[in-house]
Amino acid sequence: MSSRSRLDLLQGTLDLLILKTLALGAMHGWGIAQRIQQMSEDVLRVNQGSLYPALHRLEAAGWIVAEWGASENNRQAKFYRLTKTGQRQLREETELWEQMAGAVARVLKAETI
Amino acid sequence: MHPRFTHRFKALRDGFAMDRELDAEVRFHIEMETEKYVRQGMDPAAARTKALRNFGPMEKHKEEVRETRGVSWLEHLTQDLKYGVRTLIKSPGFALLAIVTLGLGIGANTAIFSVINGVLLKPLPYDNGDRLVLIQQTAPLINRPNFGVSINELYDYRAQLASFEGIVEFHQMNFDLLRRGEPDRVATGVVSPNFFDALGIKPILGRAFVDTDDDEGAPAVLILTHAYWQTKFGGDRGIIGQVFQMNDRPHTVVGVLPPVPQYPNEVDLYMPTSACPFRAAAERQVAQNRRPFLVQVFGLLKRGASPATAAAEVATVAAHFKRDYPDVYRPALGFHAQTANVLEQLTARARELLLILLGTTGLVLLIACANVANLALARMLRRDRELAMRSALGAGRGRLVRQLLTESLVLAVAGGAFGLLFAWSTVDMLTKFVERFTSRTGEIDIDPGVLVFTLLVSVVTGVLFGTFPALASRIDVANALKSGGKGTSNTAGRHRLQSALIIAQVAVSVVLLVGAGLLLVSLYRLQSVDPGFKPERVMSAEVFGNFTKYPDALATRTLYLRLLERLERASGVISAAVTNAVPLSGLQPGQARFQIRGRTYDTPDARPTVDVRVASTKYFETLGIPLLRGRSFTELDHENAKNVGIINEAMARHWDGVDPVGSEVSFDDGETWGTIVGVVGDVKAFGLDREPIAQLYRPLRQGGHIAGRALVRMTGDPSAATTIIRDAVHSIDPDIPIENVRTLDEIRDRYLATPRLTALLLSVFAGLALLVTITGITGVIAQSVSQRTQEFGLRMALGATQKSVLGMVVGQGLWLVGSGLLLGMAGAAAFARVLKSYLYGTTPTDPMAFAIVSIAFVTAGALACLGPAWRATTVDPMTALRAE
Repeated sequence: MSSRSRLDLLQGTLDLLILKTLALGAMHGWGIAQRIQQMSEDVLRVNQGSLYPALHRLEAAGWIVAEWGASENNRQAKFYRLTKTGQRQLREETELWEQMAGAVARVLKAETI
Repeated sequence: MHPRFTHRFKALRDGFAMDRELDAEVRFHIEMETEKYVRQGMDPAAARTKALRNFGPMEKHKEEVRETRGVSWLEHLTQDLKYGVRTLIKSPGFALLAIVTLGLGIGANTAIFSVINGVLLKPLPYDNGDRLVLIQQTAPLINRPNFGVSINELYDYRAQLASFEGIVEFHQMNFDLLRRGEPDRVATGVVSPNFFDALGIKPILGRAFVDTDDDEGAPAVLILTHAYWQTKFGGDRGIIGQVFQMNDRPHTVVGVLPPVPQYPNEVDLYMPTSACPFRAAAERQVAQNRRPFLVQVFGLLKRGASPATAAAEVATVAAHFKRDYPDVYRPALGFHAQTANVLEQLTARARELLLILLGTTGLVLLIACANVANLALARMLRRDRELAMRSALGAGRGRLVRQLLTESLVLAVAGGAFGLLFAWSTVDMLTKFVERFTSRTGEIDIDPGVLVFTLLVSVVTGVLFGTFPALASRIDVANALKSGGKGTSNTAGRHRLQSALIIAQVAVSVVLLVGAGLLLVSLYRLQSVDPGFKPERVMSAEVFGNFTKYPDALATRTLYLRLLERLERASGVISAAVTNAVPLSGLQPGQARFQIRGRTYDTPDARPTVDVRVASTKYFETLGIPLLRGRSFTELDHENAKNVGIINEAMARHWDGVDPVGSEVSFDDGETWGTIVGVVGDVKAFGLDREPIAQLYRPLRQGGHIAGRALVRMTGDPSAATTIIRDAVHSIDPDIPIENVRTLDEIRDRYLATPRLTALLLSVFAGLALLVTITGITGVIAQSVSQRTQEFGLRMALGATQKSVLGMVVGQGLWLVGSGLLLGMAGAAAFARVLKSYLYGTTPTDPMAFAIVSIAFVTAGALACLGPAWRATTVDPMTALRAE
């Protein structure tokens, strides 16, 4: 895998992806990282070091909550779950992201003179 | 509750639980990641390494997580505290030295501050203390500040001052209190009946005086002070209603005061004005006389009255006195009246000294700070690797500085705790010392205010000395890790900082040492002063006959003549005398104006003044005062003979070189004349540091004074005279109290105790400063030597002698001492000026003190360097070079 294909995520983008991932169901930190990687077909790669600060930031903001539970291999893991405000935040941020992505795409597609 | 808030709250509550959770979470992550790689076919160890590498700098990430919690400062603090205490425990030598050094500095400041707080800062413990002023009359032109107020003037002030709601009087008299056992001569405050109400002092037992106590023929009553009640009656609560004989009248105790400071004098008990025979006599003369200026006056301002207006009113009333009675308030007096603050007057003599002491201890603390900063800097050199490691693991520079400051604060607070112990154990000693300067020492205590002060000083101290190592913590990580702890790129900068600190320490120590040196030189000179008499083997005692029994000069004279006769018959007595003033016992000089027959004076105020004393025939012999010309007093100088006097050399100077023996002087405008029959040597009667003033002695049998002091010169141990005097007095009259039985050496020692203690106190602080500074120098030089081991090895290999290496190291130390000395001398000159009023025969720039301090410091500095220097010479060149 060339380093080019592993894009580092922009701040804020990571938050959005975490929220989206959790919208599909509760998950622990490692699982979130794996899922983002899988869903992006290995293009987006979560810097694991920034994952946990982000999770705690979102928790502090009240968008997600954490509780301990058993993992798929039956070990104690910390599972994160989307809250009501987190769902609202996800909707707002998705909208914002789509607007922005669209705008960036339009700029890039513009014919050069 | 807002989720953010709950989160924070939760974080705050279980900060450490969350840390553990985070660890578990991260561990889980790494395990999952490792398993993933193992499933992909990697070997477990390699998989784990890869997982760890993927995660990145773990501590840094954890730190970032902690910071998102928003309460991390508190956790940092607890973490830093734990870490700080741990590292300090790991270097107990450094910690102990720092804590003791700081503790002594903080402790000295705490002790002095607790005294300042109790003496100068706390409001007077009188309910009306804030509205109370003194009304004082002064005659500056004849050098009589606060000479008192007469009864007549008191009544005028009462009638004319509008801003006051109460004007009360005080004067002190000594009376004989007769009770079970030995008669007791008690210092008695004679006061207006509403005196305690005006001041706002409520008795703790019984009642205060009431107006009817002052009525003609009212039963005589007494109020005891707390101290007298405790010492003489053991705090007996049954004292109220007890009757004592005083001035040949029964006096009933009606109250006991709380322990409050008293102004202007500490007395044993109080009586209302009507009970004092002297006050009554003055009262009878009110109509025809504006003198004597017997009493001190307190005024209680009306609520809301301005002190400035009150002062102006007082000044105006006094100006009217001057206008209406020009013969009493002559222009030559410079008479005027003013108000004064009671607390300021009560503590006037202590204020300056206490502030000097606080300045001194402040400087000691600065030195202690510099020293600990230096120790910490030296320690930093060894900690470079540790700090670099932490920095590499993700600790930011701010985090490191915070860590270092926390360590400093831990040290400072521990030092503060030690300092409190030190202050607590020394404050009683200090209180005894301060009692010499003010009677307000009862409220000195290590109270919450003092504790706050100590905490503040500790924190400021910690920040002060903690800043230096923190500033020096800028670390070149790679270099520090590579160099194996032997010092890093900014070593040179740190050395400069250390040298600067040492120079500053030396300079400040020099200031203190010169101050102490000046006081010691001055004390030595004061102790060597010839007092003009020979105090050895002479005992003195106060023997006052109860004046109701011995009402006039004739009666007291008979008493004293009988006493002298008995004393001289006793075995072991060489000679005995009676006088009205024992030299150096704290009396103030009198100022009688006299004229010499045959001379004219422009005005009465142009006449010279003299201090008149009473001397029995063997007075000069007993005290060992040399007779220079003429003769001494004899039995023939009695009441019916011609008035005679003996003068001292200082008075003889008024005759401008002509022999005064045989000439006549008068004290009453030439109505009566006395002949000078002899000249004796000058005596430093009023203080070893005071130039002798003109004195004239009158024979006991001609003097109109109540004498009251017996002197006995013994062949051997003067303490034997105690019983001799007691037996002699009581064989004449068992009701006469014998007070202040002291040898003249004791009296001289008491006089010297104040300057001696002042010098001692400052010397202790200066010695502390010197000690701390010298250990600082040794430390810095030793460190420099150990860092230059290779250099010294090389030098020795190239042929440098031991002597030259020794010289190099000592020279380095002396350079520091020399620079500090020069700087310090300038500061010392300024400090010495503050001490000026405490110096005798010594100018603030006394070369002796400066020279002693310089020599002492250079010697001490050289000695401090010798140990490390010796180590430098014992470096084996081969070992040193190989170590590179």
